[in-house]
Amino acid sequence: MRHRVSSHAEEAEINITPMLDIVFIMLIFFIVTTSFVKEVGLDVNRPSNAPIKEQKISEVVAIRIDENGTISVQNREVDIRAVRANIESELATKPEASVVVISDRNADAGILVKVIDQARVAGAEKVSLAAMAR
Amino acid sequence: MARRHAVQQEETEINITPMLDIVFIMLIFFIVTTSFIKETGIDPNRPEAETAYKQERGNILIAVNEAGDIWMNKRKVELGQVRQLVEQAKNESPESSVVIIADQKSSTGALIDLMDQIRLGGVANISVAAELAGG
Repeated sequence: MRHRVSSHAEEAEINITPMLDIVFIMLIFFIVTTSFVKEVGLDVNRPSNAPIKEQKISEVVAIRIDENGTISVQNREVDIRAVRANIESELATKPEASVVVISDRNADAGILVKVIDQARVAGAEKVSLAAMAR
Repeated sequence: MARRHAVQQEETEINITPMLDIVFIMLIFFIVTTSFIKETGIDPNRPEAETAYKQERGNILIAVNEAGDIWMNKRKVELGQVRQLVEQAKNESPESSVVIIADQKSSTGALIDLMDQIRLGGVANISVAAELAGG
């Protein structure tokens, strides 16, 4: 049996109590302020007003929304449920085309989001947003 | 062979080292995951979308209600102030992107004006909040 020699190590220890107090206060602060809620949303590409590059009209799938919420794809009036199929067929003939949503200023934002959503479902990666001239 | 009881003369203190380890790990976890989101103050009716996804960096929230009023940091702001507020918010957390919470009934014009102001404020990643359809 080994006899334990009592040492004076305890007296030489650093007092960590104040550090612990601070650590606990920080812990409580971060627990209280943390919010894990993240918004769910769609990315919308809003090109700047400066003219960047001319896009040929043949390379654009234009979707118009008028002030009553009527949607037209390439100047054909369509129902909201048919938007996806229409964009899909347009993109099938012009795979390089970019989708531009041109909305009237008085149209509801809800319809706009629905149209952008449908365009994304149809396979358009980048959907740009434009407003009709006032 | 008789087993001896541990002598408890000196070791009366509880060993707090494992607790400290856990506390420090929790502290680091919360420091890393905290993002200070400023609530907008109103809760508009979000449109539904199928392709909506979680905006991990969407820390700057701006809400637009039915009438086209803009709310940020729990107070109503004018369109002209948005640019400055976005610039400030971007200084605080340069990685953030903006999420616009627009009401279904708000007008597209208000949304587009707001987006232009946000772009002027220096944030190019703008998204529009939506609810996952069927969720």
